[in-house]
Amino acid sequence: MAKLYGTTSSRTVEITVISGENLRVDRRSIKKNAFVVVRPDGGSDFRMTEIDADGGSYPRWDKKFVLDLPAQAPAVSVEVYCKTAFGNRVVGVARVPVSDFSGAYVPETYLHFLSYRLRDQRGERNGIINISVRSKVPPARAYTYSASASVPTPASSVGVPVGKNNYGGGVVTGLPVLYAYH
Amino acid sequence: MGGCFSDIKGGKQGIGGTPQRPIEEAGGGPNDAVDLFYRSHGLHSLFTPLELSLVGSNLRDRDITSKSDPIAVVFAQKNDGKLEELGRTEVLLNTLNPVWINKITVAYQFEMVQKIIFHLYDVDTKYHNIPVKTLNLKDQDFLGEASCFLSEIVTKQSRSLTLNLHSKNRPGVSTNLGTLTVHAEETVASRSVVDVVFRCSKLENKELFSKSDPFLRISRIIESGGSVPICKTEVVDNNLNPIWKRLSLSMHQFGSKDNPLIIECFDFNSSGNHVLMGKLQKSVAQLEQLHKEKTGANFVLPSSNRAQEKVLKGQLFVDHFNEKKQFSFLDYISSGYELNFMVAVDFTGSNGDPRRPDSLHYIDPYGRLNSYQQAIREVGEVIQFYDSDKHFPAWGFGGRKPDGTVSHCFNLSGIETEFEVAGVEGIMAAYASALHNVSLAGPTLFGQVVDRAAQIASQSLSHHGNKYFVLLIITDGVLTDLQETKEALVKASDLPLSVLIVGVGNADFSQMEILDADKGIRLESSTGRVATRDIVQFVPMREVQRGQISVVQALLEELPGQFLSHVRSRDLKPCNFGGAQTFA
Repeated sequence: MAKLYGTTSSRTVEITVISGENLRVDRRSIKKNAFVVVRPDGGSDFRMTEIDADGGSYPRWDKKFVLDLPAQAPAVSVEVYCKTAFGNRVVGVARVPVSDFSGAYVPETYLHFLSYRLRDQRGERNGIINISVRSKVPPARAYTYSASASVPTPASSVGVPVGKNNYGGGVVTGLPVLYAYH
Repeated sequence: MGGCFSDIKGGKQGIGGTPQRPIEEAGGGPNDAVDLFYRSHGLHSLFTPLELSLVGSNLRDRDITSKSDPIAVVFAQKNDGKLEELGRTEVLLNTLNPVWINKITVAYQFEMVQKIIFHLYDVDTKYHNIPVKTLNLKDQDFLGEASCFLSEIVTKQSRSLTLNLHSKNRPGVSTNLGTLTVHAEETVASRSVVDVVFRCSKLENKELFSKSDPFLRISRIIESGGSVPICKTEVVDNNLNPIWKRLSLSMHQFGSKDNPLIIECFDFNSSGNHVLMGKLQKSVAQLEQLHKEKTGANFVLPSSNRAQEKVLKGQLFVDHFNEKKQFSFLDYISSGYELNFMVAVDFTGSNGDPRRPDSLHYIDPYGRLNSYQQAIREVGEVIQFYDSDKHFPAWGFGGRKPDGTVSHCFNLSGIETEFEVAGVEGIMAAYASALHNVSLAGPTLFGQVVDRAAQIASQSLSHHGNKYFVLLIITDGVLTDLQETKEALVKASDLPLSVLIVGVGNADFSQMEILDADKGIRLESSTGRVATRDIVQFVPMREVQRGQISVVQALLEELPGQFLSHVRSRDLKPCNFGGAQTFA
């Protein structure tokens, strides 16, 4: 069921670039000035973190972005760079498939903590990038994760039986179905 | 201490801070040094000290002229059935409803089934001036006994359990001897955690050709006078004005905010002979003060002419200070969080024909448990206390079902729609009947059972957020497709799930060590996704049979930590936390 949601129109996601581990350029640990560019496939849109001046090869950004993913985007690229005196060097790139944070039985607004191996321009293994991703959904579809309500969403909306409804005539694709409730 | 710093790679990492996020925990490696320290001092790093308070009600009256003068004695029952005394309350005079003040301290260990036995006595007046420790219990009048498992108390929201007293060795025979209420409380206010970022300036250089490579070691001064190292920072290479990564100190480690800590700055040396660059003594409260005032504290060096200490130019600053509450495993468990148990059993051919006594699946007519049965029973008996409905999913893999197809995830119950069985005994029965109906085949693949467990864990998230799943896989051997298993585990690493693997038989289990990312190497899928955290724990059955600690303890000891890494990274609080619990 959950897989059907949101795959037809664009989706809004909250991506937090948390930290990097063991980042290298030319096989040597970088000393400072790593930054990250997050770029959804199939669009010109991108977001950039600040430069981490003192984290060395284990930088930490904790930077949250809200991005609109185009409907057909299969993945988001996370690109790690290092600013040097000779310009910006690519540390490595990771591709984050949309399927890693959507579908597969978990509630749609589940906070995913994801880590990826970075590959440099020659395709060689570099360090690791840690991110978290949460899909944003219209309030009516939100779900609360625990009794302590760490997700500030209206509890009354839990368990709307979307699947049992008939929208007055067959399947309508491309329509954000939940607006039918407003 | 030299041994703790012996290898350079490991030695340069920070150790002993309270892990913040699973990501850092996995990256930073296990806290071997701290663990070793505790173990070498006979302490288990994962135990939680609990204080038991006892209240009796409607006790039997053994005195003729007045009421009883009761005392309670608490024992732990060991595996061999022997009782070990844990402590005694004081003697209360002339009451049948005693509320004892003295608390009994017990070390709660998640990975063990801890049976506690309470004996109540009426102490004769002539013994009243003798210290309770030296009382000979045989001389006292017996008022009754009761027993329970420690996990029964800690899973209760009130953390209290009321037990019926019965006469000696006659449980079940109700003779109305009154009741005993036991309440358990964590002794240390261990919820407090302090995050600090340390920085130094103008450290004195200790090296000839380059600058020093400083790191900090923090020790707590203990009552007996010595000091116990509690953590150290990572090494900052070639820098006399270093800033270290954020360090988390739990109340567990530093005791109280006013407890003096020794902070030493060393120049790292790969030989292990780290050179002291300076030391100072500050309590956590004083560190907070340094942060508020943005001032530095000067390091000193013990000087050769004794009483004199040389004050150095080098200073310590606290760039960041933040105190927060961190909930314990028991906070979550008693508030209604559950551990849900699942089992998957290896039905591949390498186990040997179950009808032959040399088969790993041989069911002994005299009831001696085979390795599979042992693992199910021992792990199940610990975890069932934390699972309220006690319905456990149970699967087999690598077997040929009665319809002739080989399945890598079939229900042990034999019923297509029933993947759950009732209780540990239910698993045992389903396992035995599956051996009759399913023939052993192959290959050995874990992917499907891990995926199925992950699916159940995922689905539970939509209902309540307060379940954590534990999948026990028991296997005799070598995985046919290691990568397939890795893919499934990497995908599951973001879910409320841990996987315990028990290896039975004599196969080469080196693959399993790869899955168990204890050595700090994180699992990686073929698409480049890396496991968010370590969710696998592997133990070979044979190794444990030789040693003293049971397979179950070795298997379960990481579980509370894995549970906490999940809930803390998501900032989940215990359900309904906030109401202070009172106990009269």
